[in-house]
Amino acid sequence: MAERREINIPVADPNDPYAVPAAMPSSADTNPRSFDVSDFARPTRKQEDFRFTPVERIEEFLDVFTPSNATTVSVSMIDGAPLEPDMVTLREVPVGQEPTGTVGKPTDRVEAVEWASATRAFVVELKDSPAQPVLVKVHGAGTDLDALHLVVTAADRVHGDVVIEHDGTARLAEGVEITTGTDAHLSVTSIQEWSADSKHVGGHRIHVGAESSVRHAVITLGGTVVRLRMDQDFGGEHGDINMLGIYFVDPGEHIEHRTMVVHNHPDCKSRVVYKGALDGKGAHSTWVGNALIEPTAPGTDSYELNRNLVLTPGAIADSEPNLEIENGNIIGAGHASSVGRFDDEELFYLQSRGIPEAQARKLVVRGFFAELVEEIGIDAIAGHLMEAIDRRLARGEDAATQTVLEEK
Amino acid sequence: MSTLEIKNLYASVETKEGRKQILRGVNLTVNSGEIHAIMGPNGSGKSTLAYTLAGHPKYEVDSGQALLDGEDLLLMTPDERAKAGLFLAMQYPVEVPGVSMTNFLRTAVTEVSGEAPAIRTWTKELTAAMKQLKMDPKFATRSVNEGFSGGEKKRAEVLQLEMLKPKFAVLDETDSGLDVDALRIVSEGVNRAKAANDFGVLMVTHYTRILKYIKPDIVHVFADGHFVKTGGPELADELEERGYDEYLPEGSDSESALA
Repeated sequence: MAERREINIPVADPNDPYAVPAAMPSSADTNPRSFDVSDFARPTRKQEDFRFTPVERIEEFLDVFTPSNATTVSVSMIDGAPLEPDMVTLREVPVGQEPTGTVGKPTDRVEAVEWASATRAFVVELKDSPAQPVLVKVHGAGTDLDALHLVVTAADRVHGDVVIEHDGTARLAEGVEITTGTDAHLSVTSIQEWSADSKHVGGHRIHVGAESSVRHAVITLGGTVVRLRMDQDFGGEHGDINMLGIYFVDPGEHIEHRTMVVHNHPDCKSRVVYKGALDGKGAHSTWVGNALIEPTAPGTDSYELNRNLVLTPGAIADSEPNLEIENGNIIGAGHASSVGRFDDEELFYLQSRGIPEAQARKLVVRGFFAELVEEIGIDAIAGHLMEAIDRRLARGEDAATQTVLEEK
Repeated sequence: MSTLEIKNLYASVETKEGRKQILRGVNLTVNSGEIHAIMGPNGSGKSTLAYTLAGHPKYEVDSGQALLDGEDLLLMTPDERAKAGLFLAMQYPVEVPGVSMTNFLRTAVTEVSGEAPAIRTWTKELTAAMKQLKMDPKFATRSVNEGFSGGEKKRAEVLQLEMLKPKFAVLDETDSGLDVDALRIVSEGVNRAKAANDFGVLMVTHYTRILKYIKPDIVHVFADGHFVKTGGPELADELEERGYDEYLPEGSDSESALA
């Protein structure tokens, strides 16, 4: 029956890398890409992409719904100053109108449902390099189901930083599209500091223009279920994507991050580093890091790493790096993954200097994350992140310790 | 004036071959201002004594007491022991990634003294202490012990000794791995801290060379898990000449022992 056919290595269209079926079908990435919810089967834990997900806890996000539109979005410079319109603009457009839907397509049912449900999209355009980071505040107004779409674009040669802050209480499906022109340098930092009863699902779709670099950071510090996927590709040679992630999981919470790096152009570089701390019974984290190096991407330099620190017994960290390399002519494709508990020697050392165990643990956790935050390299953002982490660690802390933590 | 009284201390460690008793009846009294050198062969349990006093979880106390002004340290958690006034300068100081020296020291001093030190005097004191130990100011912003050389780690231990102002300092082979200049700088730091705070010192060492800089009042020989001989500074010279052979039990395997 099987017909013999010549194998042609397909040349991928950078705007739609999955238009041509790969001659060697990718095993890491077999998902459809579609705006149509019906193209995706209803998730079950038998599906690879939902293997670690408590699907029953995100059931409300699996069918198209009417959004409450109660979630508020406000945009300013990070110091609170208004946007300077010749550099940064904010527009609200209907979902479906450009530039929404231009950065890839939904890659799972949750993202397709978000797309079909959301009626509001906020577009932040960096036309020129702002002097300080842009702050997008997304505030959840309650547990009524809501859907929201954000687009961040950076024009050619623009250098800029965007921080997206989520707080309040929400049940939110959110789609974020991030795209740059040529020779642009953009950082996008998304902080999830939700209340303990919040749910947040969705994804970030990232397109790195030729000769451009994107630093993408995801910091998830609260929410009963947070499930985000990050899908990325390149628009030309010499692109550079740096994905950082930090998560802190409390008892009973499920925090899931899935990264998908696609090397579809020559000489691009990717780094994915996610670190998480898990505290208590039933705390569950999932990190799945996929990297796909396509035949069209010689000279690829790729590395992904995930580290989990289990603070107390009873927590579960799933950590799974997947690499698929379809081009042998590359600089590197590495991965590392670990789940570990506290280092007793570190704790003893701190304790032997008078620091009580609980506080010693906090210092170690803070240090575990600080290493990563330092890598962001942008003081305004790093400071902002450490503040969020310190807020998280300082919960239930006595006043004297808080002072020390704040003064650093 | 404080007193550290170790009474009939027995302690064990869990090994692959099962539980092994290392400390077998340690008795010692140290007063404020005294410097005791504890010398002995490898594997005799000197370091175990140091770590047991500080409360390392690896070592289990079988019986005995270590009374600091009447309070039994062995019933306390490691941080409580530090607050009670005990300091252990470790042979292998531990790296704590991502925690800056400044933050660490300030947190420790806050805990030990019971209040956060005023920023201005604190910074001044820290800078001065680091300068005297010939430590590069950039160490203050680096992670605790991370990427420090052996000598830098020992200086950082002495820096902590100066900042934390304990009642008793246990120095576990603080001289190991130091070149001549570093040994002098570290020793001067210990002497300076002692002059300022008049604490008692238990100095664990193999070699007599550190004793040229930090002059002991009393020298003990530690072998097979307890003190076997006590004398004045002249005992150190005797050991330097004749070694520890006479203190090793017949057919002893202590060379290969744990600790």
